[in-house]
Order: sequence, then C-alpha cells, then structure tokens
Amino acid sequence: MANRSELGRKGNKPDLLAGLIFIVIGALGLWAGRDLRMGNAAMMGPGYLPLIVSALILLIGLGVTIMGLMSSSEPIGVIRLRPLLIILLAVAGFAYAAGSLGFIIAAAWLIGIGSLADPETRLREIAASIVVLTIFGILVFIVGLGVQMPLGPF
Amino acid sequence: MEFFDSLILGFSTAVTPTNLLFCLIGALLGTLIGVLPGIGPTATLAILLPITFFLPPLAALIMLAGIFYGAQYGGSTTAILVNLPGEASSVVTAIDGYQMAKQGRAGAALAIAALGSFFAGTVSTIGLAVAGPTLAGFALSFGPAEYFSLTIFGLLCATILASGSVIKAIGMIGIGLLLGWVGTDVNSGSERLTFGAVELFDGIEFVVIAVGLFGIAEIIVNLETPESRGLIATKITSLWPTRDDFRKAWPAVLRGTGLGTFLGILPGGGATLSAFSAYTLEKKVSRNPKEFGRGAIQGVAGPEAANNAGAQSSFIPLLTLGIPSNAVMAMLLGAMTIHGITPGPSVMHNQPDLFWGLIASMWIGNLMLLVINLPLIGLWVKLLTVPYRLLYPAILVFCCVGVYSVSNRAFDVALAVGFGFLGYLFRKAKCEPGPLLLGFVLGPLLETNLRRAMLISQGSPSVFIERPISLALLIASAALFVLLLVPAIRKTREEAFVEEEA
Amino acid sequence: MFKVLKTLCIGALTVSAAATAAHAEWPKDRPIEIVVAFAPGGSTDVMARAMQPFLEKELGAKTVIVNKPGASGEIAYTYLSQAKPDGYTFSFINTPGYLSMQVQRKLRYDPKSIQAVARIVDDPTAYVVKADSPIKSLKDLIAQAKAKPGSVSVGTSGVGTDDHLAMILLEQAAGVTLTHVPFPGAGETRTALLGGHITTGGLNVSEFAGGDLSTIRPLVTFGDKRSPEAPDVPTAKEEGFEVFMSSERGLAARRDIPADIRAKFSEAVKRVVESPEFKEEAKKLALPLAYLSGEEWEQQMPKRLQSFQDIWNKTPWVQ
Repeated sequence: MANRSELGRKGNKPDLLAGLIFIVIGALGLWAGRDLRMGNAAMMGPGYLPLIVSALILLIGLGVTIMGLMSSSEPIGVIRLRPLLIILLAVAGFAYAAGSLGFIIAAAWLIGIGSLADPETRLREIAASIVVLTIFGILVFIVGLGVQMPLGPF
Repeated sequence: MEFFDSLILGFSTAVTPTNLLFCLIGALLGTLIGVLPGIGPTATLAILLPITFFLPPLAALIMLAGIFYGAQYGGSTTAILVNLPGEASSVVTAIDGYQMAKQGRAGAALAIAALGSFFAGTVSTIGLAVAGPTLAGFALSFGPAEYFSLTIFGLLCATILASGSVIKAIGMIGIGLLLGWVGTDVNSGSERLTFGAVELFDGIEFVVIAVGLFGIAEIIVNLETPESRGLIATKITSLWPTRDDFRKAWPAVLRGTGLGTFLGILPGGGATLSAFSAYTLEKKVSRNPKEFGRGAIQGVAGPEAANNAGAQSSFIPLLTLGIPSNAVMAMLLGAMTIHGITPGPSVMHNQPDLFWGLIASMWIGNLMLLVINLPLIGLWVKLLTVPYRLLYPAILVFCCVGVYSVSNRAFDVALAVGFGFLGYLFRKAKCEPGPLLLGFVLGPLLETNLRRAMLISQGSPSVFIERPISLALLIASAALFVLLLVPAIRKTREEAFVEEEA
Repeated sequence: MFKVLKTLCIGALTVSAAATAAHAEWPKDRPIEIVVAFAPGGSTDVMARAMQPFLEKELGAKTVIVNKPGASGEIAYTYLSQAKPDGYTFSFINTPGYLSMQVQRKLRYDPKSIQAVARIVDDPTAYVVKADSPIKSLKDLIAQAKAKPGSVSVGTSGVGTDDHLAMILLEQAAGVTLTHVPFPGAGETRTALLGGHITTGGLNVSEFAGGDLSTIRPLVTFGDKRSPEAPDVPTAKEEGFEVFMSSERGLAARRDIPADIRAKFSEAVKRVVESPEFKEEAKKLALPLAYLSGEEWEQQMPKRLQSFQDIWNKTPWVQ
C-alpha cells in the first residue's frame, strides 16, 4: 500500500466509508423523488418527507465525511473478496432458480456454491450438506409449512 | 368474586384433553416457525385456517393463538444464536443476545428470555382478564396526533439503540425511514422511490431487509475473520444464568412487562415499539450503559419481556372491540368469523366460556412454552458447537426460503442480496443496522399519522399539543432528547481534552 | 413431396390428439392453480380457502391456492396473463380495483388478455358512523358537509378503493367537499371511527353485517337495492343520491383458454355458490353471494370502466 504513509495519519476510514454511503443514498433518494409533489405542511404531498429526509441523510453524510477526514486514522479492517462474492452469488443464484427451476435445484446450488465460501470445507461434506438440507427443506418448508415453491422445473 | 368465577370457568374449559392438546400443538408449531427465520406466524395461520373449519371453535382459537405467542418465544432463539431477527421485535434481542452467545453465554441469554417471557405473559394475561375492556378504551383514545408523537418518541429511542456514534445512528434511521416509504403512498396513491419496479409497489418486506442486513452480512463477516468463528463452541460456560444474572435481569423484566402490556394494546406497531422502548429504558436506567451492545443481560431480559407482554395484550383490542391490531390478529378475527363468533364488547357476555377459556389457555400455553423451551436450550447451544462451515449453509437455506415465502417471489431474494451487500458495507463503515430497522418500521407510521392528523385538523399543527396524551409524549421526547445530548456533549468535550493533552 | 405430406399429417394428428387428450384429461391430470392477488389472511384469501374444498369436489380435481400479493393485484394479473392458456391457472379478481387500475396507470399486462369466468360475491360499499354519532342519515352527513365544508372526514381503506370512489361520486352528486382520510385497511378505519377521530368510515356490507353492531351504526349502502345481509340500511338512491358502488369478487382466466374448460369451470363455481353447505359457510363469513357467469359479468364491466374514466378525467384520485 503506497498511500498508507500519506493518508495514514489522518482519516477515519470507516467514517469516510459511512459518509460516502450516506451521500450516495441521500443523493439517490433525492433523485428518485425528484418528480414527487412536495405539497405544503397542511396538505403534504408524497414527496414532502422523503425529500426532506434524503437531504438530511446527504448532509449527515457530508458531516461524517468531514469529521472522518479530521479525526485520527483508523483502518477499515480486513476485506476478503472470496466469502463476499461467493455468498452473494450463491443467494442470487437461488433467487434466479427458485421461481423457474424449483426448490431442489435452487437449494442444491445455494448450499453447494455457498459452502465454497469457506476454504476449510471438504467436498464430501458439501455433498452431504446438499442431500441432508435439501431433503430437510422439502419436508419442513414445502410439505410441512406449505411454502408455495415448485419442487422442480416441471 | 365474579372475576374468580370467570377464571374458574375459563380454566375448566381450557383443561379438557382436546383443548390442552391443541394448545400444545399450537405452542410447538409456533416455536418451530419462530425459530425458522422469515416464516412468520401470518403465513402459517393462513395455511392452517381451513383445517380449523373442522375443529370446535375454542380448540381452533386456542391453537391459532398458541402459534402466535409460540412464535414470539421462538423468534428470540435465532436472534440470540445466529444474530438473525425474524421480526421487528427481536431486532433488539439480537443486539445483546448475540453478543452474549459470542461470549459463550447463549444458554443464559435463552433462559432469561424464556423466563422473562413467561413472567411477562403471565402478568399481561392477568391484565387482559382484569382490565381488558378499560385498557381497550385507552387504545381508542390514540388518534393520528397521538401516534405521531409516539413515533417521534420511538425514533429518539432508536438513536439509543446504537452503542457507537449518534450522528451515524441518525443517518441510519434516516435510511430506514426512506426504505419504509418505498412503495405506494397511502395518502395520495402515487408510487414513489420504486424505480419503476412493480414488485416494490407495496413496499419492502421487513424480513427482506432483516435477512440481508443481519443474516447474510453476518455470515460474510464471520467467514472473513476465521479466528472469530470457532470461539463460540470453546467458550460455552454454563447453560443457566448465574445469580448475578438473575439479580440484574429481574428489575428489567418487571419494567419490560409493564411497558409491553401498555404499548401492546395500541393497534399498529405497539408491540414492536414496546421491545425498542424497553431497551432504551434499560440502557437509560443502567449505571453502566457501556455494557449495552456488549452482552448486557438486561438488554435481553427487558425487551423480551416487553415483546411477549405486548403480544399477549394485543389480544385486548381484538377480544373486546373486535379490532385486529396486526396481521395475525386479523387472521384470528377471520377464524372467529368462520366459526360464527363475533368478537366485540358482547362476546364476554354472550360466550363467556369461549372468552375466558381462551384467556386461561394463553396462560397454560405460556407455561407449556416454558416447559418446552427450557430443556431445548441445551440442544440449541449444542447447535453452536456444529462447525461453522456446516452451520452457515443451513442458515442460508432458512434465510432464502423465509424471504421467498413472504410473497412467494424470487424478486425478494434478489433484493435480500442487495441488502446483504449493503449490510456488509455498513459493518465496514461501523454503522449499526438496528436503528435502520426501527426507522423502517416507524417510517410509514410517522408519515401517515402526521399527514392524517394535519388532514383532520385541516392544517393546524396545534392539534399535537392540544391533545393531552400527544402533549405528554412530546414532552417525554423532548426530555429524552436532552438526555441524549448531555452525554454526547460531555463525550466530545472529553475527547477534545484528550487530544489537547496528547 | 409425399414425405412432407406424411410428416404434416402425422404432425397434425399428433397435435389434435394431444389437444383432445388435454381437454379430455382436464382437470384430472394435475392440480389447478388458483391465484389470490392478496396476502394470506386477507378477505379474498379467506374466501378462496373456504371455497377450495367445495370447488375441488365439484371439479373432481385438486386445486392449489397461490398467493401473489402486490401492487393491488397487478402482480397476480400479470402472472395470470403470462400463464399457459391450458386452463390450469385461474385468478381471483376484485372490482373496482381490477377496473380502476386500468384507468389510473399504465399496466404491465394487457387487460384484454384476461377474461372473467364467474362472479361470486357482490359486496356493496357502505358508510358507517359511531353508534352515538349525531349523524342519523346520509342527508345529515351531507347537511353537515354543506354547513361546514371540510368538517366531514371520511375514512377509507385506501386511494382508489371502492369506499374512496364512492366518496368522489357522492361529492359530485351532492356538490359538497369531504375530507378524505385514507387508511391501509378496514380494520384501521374501524379503529379510527370508534376512537372518534373521523366522522364516517367506508366499510363493505360483509365487514359489518352479522357483526357486533353495539359500537357502530351503518348509515347507508351504495348498492342498487337494499342488501339482504343488511335489510335495515337504506341505499343512497333512497336518500336521493344516485351513487352506486360495490366491490365484486370472482374468478378470471386468460381469454384464450379452451371455451369448454371455461364453461365447465364456471358451471362448477355456480354449483358451489348454490350448494347449501357453501351457503352456510358464506353466511358465517358474511359473504353476499351473487353468482354471475363470466359473460354476464363482462357485460357490466365496460359501463363501470367508463364511469371510472369519467371520474378520473374530472378529478384524478391519484396525484
């Protein structure tokens, strides 16, 4: 990290990230609500409170960013991409498969891919997890609790 | 005397073998669906409703009610064990309960939750029996102005939920409010903040956000830091709370019970608010509020008691006025009408055996839940000794199916992926998700009641201070705000001094 | 040449054989999906689940109830319009929402692709007041609104619902201004009414008839004649205001499903609605049963749709 020495002294990284998130969400709120009617205090339109709160979030974001720049340095902590990407991919795959391909394929994907997020996992364990959890899921959720999801792609 | 006669009538109807059996089935089923995140009592009741056509009316109601309060018991289990609140009221339980579990005290947290819930259930059931009709009148005096002032108070409570920076907590509440306003605006009927997605016209479901921010994000963070994982298993101490735990917990349970019984009566959001305000109360009366967020047992005991008391007293408006205060009560109302019972002021006189039988069964059900849950604690804690690499895929399955089942659509699961990523960013930015969820729950209440009050008063804001309950709530909010500012000012001053010295 | 002809013949034979097979087998070979456009526990869902066993008996087939809540029904109707036109997917539709949404926004499905199969319930809109309210009739209500404009607040179960549309029609018919206070549902409206926070509230007849009438008093219904479930309540027409509004529920399917399947299904619904056992069940749920065949129901729709279009052109209820 080349910039550690330059930025290392000042700059609370978590606060800077928080500020950025707030600014982005506040701006997004203002943009999404740009066409909403404001109205007035007596007859508030649908945009009245959302726009005020979006602006507030944006301001808080700016404030947190400034405070983060001025306060003493704090690192952001470890970031490992493997668990982040794999878990999100596994759940997204489940979302894609659940509607069309049915529970069995969706669950197998979720468990199989999801298990890869942990480097310690062994192949045999993944296979066992897939079988046990899928059967458990079918019995408890689909049959027992009547969750309305097709079992397979038929 | 009349009261004791009624009580005896109630117990004699409730302890028939059939009614006891259905009480047990309801309590067990409730515990099961409470433990499974996302699968809520509403959907389960809907599925079971047709089955109850074939049951005697009282047995049907006893079972359905049992599912509801059983789910309240079960809901705290996943919140404590894996930081996954299944519904709004267990968000607070997760804050300190999960920290306790991480310190190897999951058993103590679960036991206090169960005991506190039982105590609260008992007290509020008695409250329901003694003062139901009077309390219901109190609920009716809450108009839009009162609800608005109550939500203002609730939002201030939300800032206290966070143990870190207050300004970030306010930002998170703001994001929660915005998320709560996504969808069709009740007052104008126009859709907003939906980015044109028709799936968002009815807003975002609570479970979607909770599973994303808590469930999925927690798994990612846990996998990122392998050293923090194995610890839970090795550190497990005792399954039972220590003497010190009990000493700390019982006043919290008492306060929580009182708060929950009163707030639970209010239709719409009362029961949820009770858990949040109980947490705030505990943190404010505690001598060392710094413990909160790091595994304070009061932070589990108070809200759990309040939550369960609130669940019981939410039956009051249904039974005495025929008003369902939440979706589950609406289902019960449906079940009653199917059986030809009309809940309302007359049910107490026309069908006393049914009214008192149901109330007696609630107490019996609470007792059963205690008996079921205490031995289960050992089993739940054992579950934590399962290696994390085997545990988290199972949690993922529960999360995904739970989210899907809310509206039977994959869109919500995809949305949960987004919230999972956002939750991960929040962790990295040291922003606590609790206040966001409270803002999300209170946002619609805040806005609709503010606008409704202004509509009815034809634009005059004086309505908020002219009505006594509303005024009292606003004064309480102002006092809380001052309390909130004082430590914040003191803290920044202390920090300033520290920097000067350095 | 011969080969091509042969293939064509075989192809045609297979297709027609498959088609007849599908018709002949319907509805025995797999469950019929019945979509409910609302979450479990809502009144439509409760009705659907109450009907299910009776419908299964009449059809001699299994049915599955699938909840597709969202966007006041648009998600379910879109799903229905995308289903295979094989007679295995039906959906409950509710008026006026089904019609008024065609007026108020651009939809994700083509309303022409859906056809009503059978109407089951016709539930008149009604206005109720608190039992001790000084307002005794619709005339009183209008008189107060004329004396103090804006002082009469009407609680409804949301923008564009039957209670709200009835309010707009009443405003136009009587030349008054009422204050609209929308709630998310009938339960909340009733609570606000009992607490005295609103003057009157819109409920459907099934939502109060047969219920506890010690705390609320029905003022008027907007049916074309007095409702058999609430025979003591006058209609708006009797009070001198030509305002008609009700909320109907029934079943619909894709327009291009085989006609004989549609007819069979409609007949089965009719037999259910007319069976004494189901009537008993419906009485408990206070459902004002009013069967109409799909064709009869469809004939009424253009007129209502036009009236909503007229209201919308004058005062769009969504702003």
